[in-house]
Amino acid sequence: MPTITIDPITRIEGHSKVTIQLDDHGDVLDARFHVTQVRGFEKLCEGRPFTEMPALMARICGICPTSHLLASSKACDDIMAVRIPETAEKLRRIMNLAQITQSHALSFFYLSAPDFLLGMDADPEERNIMGVVRKYPQMARDGIKLRQFGQRVIEMLGGKRIHPGWIVPGGVSHPLQAEQRDAILAEIPEALRITRSALQWFKGQIENFRAEVRSFANFPSMFLAMANDTNEFSAYNGWLRFIDSNLNVVADHIEGADYQNYIGESCNDDSYLKSTYFKPLGLKDGIYRVGPLARLNMCQSAGTAQADEELAEFRELERHSVLSSFYYHYARLIEILFSVERMETLLNDPEILGTNVRAHASPNKFEGVGILEAPRGTLIHHYKIDQNGLIESANLVIATGHNNLAINHGVLQVARQFVKGKKLEQGMLNRVEAVVRAFDPCLSCSTHAAGEMALDIQLLSADGEIVDRMRR
Amino acid sequence: MPRALLIGYGNTLRGDDALGPLAIERLRALLPEAEFVSCHQLGPELAGQMAACDLAIFIDAASEGEPGTVQLERLLPSAGDAASLTHHVKPAALLELSQTLYGRAPHAMLVTGVCASFELQGGDHASALSESASRALDEICRLVPRLVQFFPAMW
Repeated sequence: MPTITIDPITRIEGHSKVTIQLDDHGDVLDARFHVTQVRGFEKLCEGRPFTEMPALMARICGICPTSHLLASSKACDDIMAVRIPETAEKLRRIMNLAQITQSHALSFFYLSAPDFLLGMDADPEERNIMGVVRKYPQMARDGIKLRQFGQRVIEMLGGKRIHPGWIVPGGVSHPLQAEQRDAILAEIPEALRITRSALQWFKGQIENFRAEVRSFANFPSMFLAMANDTNEFSAYNGWLRFIDSNLNVVADHIEGADYQNYIGESCNDDSYLKSTYFKPLGLKDGIYRVGPLARLNMCQSAGTAQADEELAEFRELERHSVLSSFYYHYARLIEILFSVERMETLLNDPEILGTNVRAHASPNKFEGVGILEAPRGTLIHHYKIDQNGLIESANLVIATGHNNLAINHGVLQVARQFVKGKKLEQGMLNRVEAVVRAFDPCLSCSTHAAGEMALDIQLLSADGEIVDRMRR
Repeated sequence: MPRALLIGYGNTLRGDDALGPLAIERLRALLPEAEFVSCHQLGPELAGQMAACDLAIFIDAASEGEPGTVQLERLLPSAGDAASLTHHVKPAALLELSQTLYGRAPHAMLVTGVCASFELQGGDHASALSESASRALDEICRLVPRLVQFFPAMW
C-alpha cells in the first residue's frame, strides 16, 4: 500500500513526521501525525524535593518555560495548601499574559506568516521567515517588536527571558519595582498598535484562504478550557469546562483533583505523544481541542474593551462555535490583544507594587495539581510526594497532547482534500504541514527530544511500499 | 568610542559552553561604555539592537580546534539557512536581518574560544570551566578590549 511520509514537519516547535496511506486507487486512506522524540521529565523528577519542581520543569522547553514554571508552582501551592498573596497572583498573571504574547507572536509572525504572506504554493526556498523579511519588512519588524515586548516583560519580572526563576511555590520571589512597571507600561501602546494592525491585515486575508478554512481540521468537536463564574476569558484561575460544538456545557466545575475522572490518556504505538480524550466518551469519541480557539469559543467575553470588539467580530464567522482550526491564527491575535490590554490594567492597579508576595508553608498534602492556560492550551502538572516532601510520581498533561487526536484528524482531512495521485507536490506538502502548524504544537513540551529529526512525508502504496517521499 | 555591542552566548549549565556569558561578566568592568548581551542563544530580536551600533562582537565557545586557543573571524551579512531563523540565529544571519530590516549592519567579529568539555554541570558554572576554557577566557578578555579600542583602525 503506498505511503507518503513528511519528515520532518517544519516551522513547528520540535520534530515530527506525517505518514499518508493510499489505497489501491491512489486515494488517501489514512494519515498519521507522529512525534519522534521521547520525554523523560516525569521519571527524572522522581525522588527530588517538590520545591525543586518549578525550576526543573521549566527546563522542559525553551519556548514555554514560563508556562511550566507557573503550572508547577500552582501544583506546589496545592501541596502546601496555601493561598498565595493577591499581589503575587496578579504578578503571576502578568507573567502568563506576557508568555501568551511572546509565544503567539512567534507562532504568527515567525512560523506561519510565510504561508499567509507568500502563499501556500510559493517556492519553499522563499516561503520562510527570510522571504517575509525581504518582501514585507514592516510585518517582520512588527513581529520581532511584539515578541520582544513579551520577552522583555518576562525578563523584567523574572530576571531573564528564558527559564526565569522568579515564580516560586507560594508566590513570587520578590516584588515589582515602580520603574519596572513604568517601563512595561511605556511599551504597551506600541504593542497594541502592532497587534491591531496585524489583526486588520489578517482579517483581510481570510478570503484568500477559503480552501484552507474549509479543510484545516474543520469538524465538530468538544473544546476544553479554563472557566470561571464571570465567563470571561481566563488563563490563570478557574476550573475546567468541556463544551460541545454547539456551545453546550458537557462537563463543568472540574477541579484539579478531579481531572483524571474526565481526561483519559492513551499511548500510541507510532508516536511518543500521548493522546488525551474526554474519558466519559472514550478514546474513539472523546476528541476535543484546546488552546486559543477553544478559549475564545468558551468565554462569553474577553473582559477588555478592544479584545471584546474583536471577539464579537470573530463570533460572526460561525453560528455556534468557530470550528475551523485555520482560525487558531485569528484567535491567537485576539488573545495577544487581550493579553496586552489586561497587562495594562493589572499594572495600573496600585496593589501591583505590594511587597507581600510570598506565602511560606511546609507540605500539607501528599498530592497537588496545578492547572494553567498556556499559550497552546490547558496545561496540567500533577505531583505526588512522600512524607519527606520528595516526588513519588509526576504526570504532565500538555496542550499538544490534548490536541493530538484533532491534529491527526486534521492531517487526514487536509490529505484527502489536497493529496491527489502518487506524486507529491510542494503545495500539498506544505498544506499538510500547515494544518499541524495551525495548532502550534510544542513537541519539546509534549515529549522530549533525544536527538533531532526533521519533517518526512511518506506516500505508501496499498501493500506498504513507499511510492514517494519528501524530506526536509 | 564606537558604539560597541558585545554578545556572549551559550548554555551556562553545559560546562565550557558558559564561556560567552562568563566573558561578558568580566568584560563589563573593562569596557564600561559598551553595551552587553548575555544569552542562551541568538534570536532575531537582537537585530534591532545591532542596527544601532557600529561594532558587534559575538563571543562563543567551540569544540573544534586546539583547546585553549581563540579564533577571530570577520563576519559579513548572510542569510544562510533561513529555516533556522525562527528560534536561533547564526551571527551572520543576524547581520543580514539587521541590514534588511533596519537598513544597516555593524562591523562584526566572531570571537570563538576553543573548549574541551561541554558536559552538564551543576552549581556555580564559573568554577566548572575546564583549564583550556579558562585560558581561552583570559585571552578573550585581553583581546576584545583591543578590538574595541582600535576600531576602526584595525578593521
